[in-house]
Amino acid sequence: MTEQTVIQPRLMGRYRNVVLGALAVVLFFAAWQAIFLVVPFNPLFISKPSLIAAGFVDLVASGELFDDLAVSAVPFFLGLGAAVVVGVPLGIVMGWRVRIGYALDPLMTIFYASPLVALAPLLVIFFGVGLPGKTIIVFSLAVFPFIFNACAGVRAVDRRLIDVVRSLGGGEWDLYRKVLLPSVLPFVVAGARIAIGRALIGVLVGEFFAASEGIGFAISRFGDLFAIDKMFACILTVMVIAVVLTEGIRFAERSAFPWRRGQ
Amino acid sequence: MAELQADFAVTAAADAAAPARRLWRRLEPTALGAGGIVGLLLVWQFLPDLVPMKAGTKLFFTVPSDIAGTLWRMFATGSIWAPLGVSAGAFAIGLGLAILAGLPLGILLGRSNVLNAMFDPFITAFNATPRLVFLPLLLLWFGLGLWSKVAIVFLGALFPLLINTYEGVRNADKLLINVVRSFGAGEWDIARLVVVPNALPFIIVGLRLAIGRAVLGVVVAEFFGAQDGLGVVMVRAASEFKVDVVFAGLIVFAVLSLVMTGLVKLIEDRMSRWRPQQVSGD
Amino acid sequence: MAAYIQARNVNLTFRPPNRAPVRALGNFDIDVAEGEFVSIVGPSGCGKSTFLNILLGLIKPDSGDILMHGKKLSGPGTDRAMVFQDFGLLPWRTVEHNIELGLELKKVPAAKRRAIAARLSALVGLAGFEHHYPHELSGGMKQRVGLARALATDPDVLLMDEPFAALDAQTRDLMQVELLRVWREAKKTVLFVTHQIDEAIYLSDRVMVMSKRPGRAKKTFAIDLPRPREYEMRVTPQFNELKLEIWNTLKDEIVV
Repeated sequence: MTEQTVIQPRLMGRYRNVVLGALAVVLFFAAWQAIFLVVPFNPLFISKPSLIAAGFVDLVASGELFDDLAVSAVPFFLGLGAAVVVGVPLGIVMGWRVRIGYALDPLMTIFYASPLVALAPLLVIFFGVGLPGKTIIVFSLAVFPFIFNACAGVRAVDRRLIDVVRSLGGGEWDLYRKVLLPSVLPFVVAGARIAIGRALIGVLVGEFFAASEGIGFAISRFGDLFAIDKMFACILTVMVIAVVLTEGIRFAERSAFPWRRGQ
Repeated sequence: MAELQADFAVTAAADAAAPARRLWRRLEPTALGAGGIVGLLLVWQFLPDLVPMKAGTKLFFTVPSDIAGTLWRMFATGSIWAPLGVSAGAFAIGLGLAILAGLPLGILLGRSNVLNAMFDPFITAFNATPRLVFLPLLLLWFGLGLWSKVAIVFLGALFPLLINTYEGVRNADKLLINVVRSFGAGEWDIARLVVVPNALPFIIVGLRLAIGRAVLGVVVAEFFGAQDGLGVVMVRAASEFKVDVVFAGLIVFAVLSLVMTGLVKLIEDRMSRWRPQQVSGD
Repeated sequence: MAAYIQARNVNLTFRPPNRAPVRALGNFDIDVAEGEFVSIVGPSGCGKSTFLNILLGLIKPDSGDILMHGKKLSGPGTDRAMVFQDFGLLPWRTVEHNIELGLELKKVPAAKRRAIAARLSALVGLAGFEHHYPHELSGGMKQRVGLARALATDPDVLLMDEPFAALDAQTRDLMQVELLRVWREAKKTVLFVTHQIDEAIYLSDRVMVMSKRPGRAKKTFAIDLPRPREYEMRVTPQFNELKLEIWNTLKDEIVV
């Protein structure tokens, strides 16, 4: 009990923030629904929650939504998986081998900082709009967070800990298992959080271009057809998936690496 | 591990070693970094000579010298300025609006627990979702052209600014707030003397992220929803197999992005003289 | 002598969210005369720092009367200033501008502020460091800034909340000597909170021992050691007797 804690405002209770947040969301949708009682409703440009819900039910019942999501999921996970397999080892090598780090750092920074998405049209034309093209776009966007975070993780290893483990008689393998891995893993998982966002962009870019299936294609097709209800339903679905994925990783970070809480 | 030991050994030896050795120690990161870039460019340049390619593949292939030539021509003839101007306009308006909206909102949410709790689900949702998903909707609302681009740039740049401002405001040291309060400061003085100076480095980092997002926003918006702009030039070039033009466009976007973030970094360093070390980004 | 600061039956209970309420102060009384140097020692968490924050006007007690110079206390005021344990310097301001903080809020003109800051820098031994940032200073230097800042608004009462706790032992000893010198020159009423009995005896006219939570005044010791006090005084039998006496009063309150 330090004196400083007192000066913070007193909260009403444990669940106050959750309640307030839920209330705000409910209010938002209610206001959205209600506003068309006052403002004329043009179904070509805007939808309202009741119609979106109906559209969503339609899409689920017909199986369309699930099919599109399944199509999009394959390149998403393949590209993300490849990004982990390539990015993490590369990042570890860059962090551990000082000279390799020197040599590759500027190059990777340039790649990371440039809007690589700009190569998407090329990749689409070269590899097609199918699975390979999308997977490669996803990979090329998602690999960099893994490289950088794995590298940062290795560089963040406390050298004193290496000495401690050594002095206690630990060998090379113990160093990897007891010092390197616990230090790098949280960084990699944090990188995954960023990579997921970029992977989603990759899938959407690929599918907006010229695909004939997938959730991105569905959104742009419903837009072309002025099927706004279904378009909103798809957009909200993508939002929910994105939130579940990133918050899921956040949750995993909190429970798997409790010692890093607050970073 | 061998590397680590070697490293310490070299450092220790360097103190006693000849000045040339010490100079090399200092230049090594730069030299190796430049070497990495030059090496990649060389391999790329001579790849067609080293690896036999099918005619179909050759169509999609370009080498750095061609890209450089194209880039040179684009600037020499001035053909780049019109599309670049269009892209830059959307970028500037979108980013400007994001700053105007993001900073006050970030400060507000940082100082009010209730508002923060209410906005939190929306910010979490929008921040987790790639803003690209809204593009078809924005195209429907704003039509092909400037304003749907501005909207996507705005959405992309808003959240890094908003969230970093918020974090910076939140991060304000309670002790320092108490200190200025003990000298009779009100809410306004607290904001002026503690909260804003403390949040500035965070806001600058947010601006750096926002610039990257804004450039990305311009590029993708122009790919799908525009009639002119540098992104449009790139998509057309891609469909005509002018691969060198696509790369030239990428390089222009990348250089602009790097230059702008570099400038912000300069401001950041200047303003952070009071800090013992750098603040971290996202 | 009429008490300059007078606190009667001060009570305060913290009610943190999701946790059991904590009674910090229970019927706490204290009297301090003008120009007096009084130390409060007590076990960790006994509410001694809380009381300083109440005097400073940052926290309102649940009940009790606090009079300063016969007037009821209401909120922060320039008649009191605090020297904080963790310095509380604004990291983006130079030494000079940190010292000027309170003057700035009092809307003192810039030229006058600068003159006061220069005088106080010299008084606390910071001359030549006016344009340094806090991160360029040692802990002892930082607390000199904290002291100068507190003195800048020329308060009647100086509140010191374990001001030397963050310093190493040698720096701490040195700062105690410095503080006595500054106190002689500035002639302030000082209320000093500390964990160290040595420190309390060496500095004070009176030392109050507080009970464990909820904190109240357990016993007050008059320190009749002659002033000005030399460092050597700490090894006299008289000093050690006082130390033992205070320790015996304090030790029952310490909860491990």
